[in-house]
Amino acid sequence: MVQSAKPVAPIWCPGCGDFSLLAAVKKAAANLKIPAHDLVLVGGIGCSGSIHNFLEVNGIHALHGRLLAQAIGVKLANPHLTVVAAGGDGDGYAIGMGHFMHAFKKNTSILYIVMNNETYGLTKGQPSPTSQIGFEGNVEAPFDAILSALSIPAPNFIARTFSGDPKTMTAVLEEAVRFNHEHRGFAFVEDLSPCVTYNDTYKLWREKVVDVSKLPGYDPTDRKTMFRLYLETSEAGKIPIGIMHRPAEVVRAGLETKLLGEAVGPARSDISLAANLGAYQKLLAGVA
Amino acid sequence: MIGGQGGDGTLTVSDLLGRYFRKSGLYVYTSRNVLSRIRGGHADASVRASRDPISAVKPEVDVLVAFDNEAVEMGRAELAAHGYVIYDSTGFHVDLPNSAGFPFATLVGGPLGQPIFKNTAAYGALSVLLGFDPVKTRAVIEERFQRRGGEALEKNLKALEIGRKAALEASGLAGRFSVVEGDAHDQILTTGNQAVALGFVVGGGRFFAGYPITPATEVMEYLQRYLPAFGGVVRQAEDELAAINMIIGAAYAGARVMTSTSGPGLSLMTEGIGQAGTAEVPVVIADCQRVGPSTGQPTRHEQSDLSHLVNLGHGEYPRFVIAPSNPEDCFGMTIDALNLAEKWRLPVILLLDQALCQNTTTSARFDLRAARVDRGQRLTAADVAQLTEYKAYRFTDTGASPYAPPGTPGLWAEITGNEHDEWGHVSVNAANRVRMMKKRMGKMAQARDELPATRFFGEASAKIGLIGYGSTSGPILETQAILAARGIPTRYLQARTIFPVPVHEIDPFLQSVDVAYVVEHNYTGQFARLLREFLPWHHAKLRSILKYDGYSFRTPQILGEIPEAR
Repeated sequence: MVQSAKPVAPIWCPGCGDFSLLAAVKKAAANLKIPAHDLVLVGGIGCSGSIHNFLEVNGIHALHGRLLAQAIGVKLANPHLTVVAAGGDGDGYAIGMGHFMHAFKKNTSILYIVMNNETYGLTKGQPSPTSQIGFEGNVEAPFDAILSALSIPAPNFIARTFSGDPKTMTAVLEEAVRFNHEHRGFAFVEDLSPCVTYNDTYKLWREKVVDVSKLPGYDPTDRKTMFRLYLETSEAGKIPIGIMHRPAEVVRAGLETKLLGEAVGPARSDISLAANLGAYQKLLAGVA
Repeated sequence: MIGGQGGDGTLTVSDLLGRYFRKSGLYVYTSRNVLSRIRGGHADASVRASRDPISAVKPEVDVLVAFDNEAVEMGRAELAAHGYVIYDSTGFHVDLPNSAGFPFATLVGGPLGQPIFKNTAAYGALSVLLGFDPVKTRAVIEERFQRRGGEALEKNLKALEIGRKAALEASGLAGRFSVVEGDAHDQILTTGNQAVALGFVVGGGRFFAGYPITPATEVMEYLQRYLPAFGGVVRQAEDELAAINMIIGAAYAGARVMTSTSGPGLSLMTEGIGQAGTAEVPVVIADCQRVGPSTGQPTRHEQSDLSHLVNLGHGEYPRFVIAPSNPEDCFGMTIDALNLAEKWRLPVILLLDQALCQNTTTSARFDLRAARVDRGQRLTAADVAQLTEYKAYRFTDTGASPYAPPGTPGLWAEITGNEHDEWGHVSVNAANRVRMMKKRMGKMAQARDELPATRFFGEASAKIGLIGYGSTSGPILETQAILAARGIPTRYLQARTIFPVPVHEIDPFLQSVDVAYVVEHNYTGQFARLLREFLPWHHAKLRSILKYDGYSFRTPQILGEIPEAR
């Protein structure tokens, strides 16, 4: 057995919502029997983005806001890998917003987890894109990632979980990764993960969360229904959680499959000259 | 030179002429001067042909084809004493002695129904003026329009005859010029951008992400054509931030990667390139320099990114900046860039320029025999079986650590742009920081003898030195030939590795000359300044010859700045 990098102790404050997420990721990976060498965890910048240091996993610490671009690069280079990107709401919805919206369009079969605590914790409590009006002087409207995600007409998996409900979280993550394994496309899970130091919302969120699957008419394959249920619940002052969208058909709609079919992908291709000589000669002969 | 409004078909005439000259076994060099707009505005192209290899725009125009008066105004300053003007007299008149006007648009408009065939008619008239062989002239049209099918081909052939007939009927036109035959039949006609794309494929590049930007876009377009057949991936990203980060992800996963961009895109990619430097992820960035800063002049030529690239980014990290000077070099050095990046696990920048990227030139066929793929210390499954531990940032004698991409059974690793220890764990330990900095930065000295070698042209005993890189090599070599013919020996140092500065190659050269002219396209003499920084003892010998008007050097402009040449 080769000794690889050992996990280090989390840097998070005791009680941080991210601990639940970390435990759920571990459990989901174990339940799905994903070997550590085939799992890539791309971390963002911020408290939550350090998660890859706390697991036996291939970890890459991306630049602030760029974890999705790096994760998509990993998956397209080697579609055999299970790729999970994980970061915070500042990382994903502020500096990384451009890549966030495009990830739904691209529909690469990776899982993106945003640990949303409605604040910049690591830099000590500034308002984030999801902060409520009034939080630390915030006067800007909070960004709603689920509504934005639902607005892109792509066959994505979209869900929200709550760190106060770890059991559901594990189940949702497993379903999301299975969705990826079937090459169906992009899975997005926003985890409501309170920052116990700068924005302790455990009590508030526990009172407000509503499991959408319990609502009358719930149908995650129907975008129109889900928009309506989501808006009605939010406008009633509640926070919808659960699976918000999942296409009915099992279609290999992932970008990696569209581009590569059954090919092994750029990272595992034989690039030796010997293996490609004939094709290279033909390519160069085509230049007149 | 062929000039008119964008959409007049000037580039088509240039293409037809190029094809004719190539059929005649001549070396060809064409450049284009277009605006950053889809249609309209002045556009011109120049075509040069020679029995000897050429790699620069000719300083004097022999024949000018003008579709509007602006083209005449733009071109007449460069017209040679014996120069001749053919113009479309449908809309204007030219008052020059050596000129002939034909109403091409009207002549073709009647019989063919559309004036757009005026450019082919102009080619027909040109073929008479230049004494072309009629059979070959026609074959060029057939070759060019065959793919478009019956009607397009038929109408262009008619337009050709209309133009030829008009010119044959005019007095004093036929055979005023003649075209010699050459023996350069085994050449290809290509651009630096196409050569970079081909080099990328042959060098094992299988993942490319980019964002459209002039003058780099064609690299992506060629790869969209070439790569899928090799199981490769090309993505047009949402911006340059995504492009650089996608290739970082793909390189981390073990693919050979590249992006191509120009100044504004390079600025956006800078943070990512820094991460690749410190996280030790092998990426190749092709920078097709254009006029900057900001949007600058997107379609115009400049070499003003050099200082930025040498100092790229916040903090300090190793990088190689290498500069090919012609398409053949672009092909070979893109392969070099991929090998160097993977072996040394750092960013390699291919320093290109607009003229090199987009001007078309005849070139020797690219040689597969010289190509090689060196994956450095990439660990195979067999290597892994011998390991007791795997540290992605293991300290080694050279600074480059053995690498196993994710998915390699039995191990995993942490890769990060944070300062880290050998395991990839975040570290703020002072001694580790110093050792890691030395590990990374030391690669530049360690790799010295593997970097592309500087080339020298001319007489070793010459006391006048010339220094340049990239497409500027073309006009410099021609300047050197002109001076040699006048009995003035020079020696030209063609830089191919820009950074780390190959002091061991440049120092003896500067020792050997009394003066060295550094010829480059920018305002501040960026390459000369870099040489002064690394070879300060030669400070007084270095003189700058600079041009920053958006156009590449013509030989008289270089000659005029060399006092010894007067």
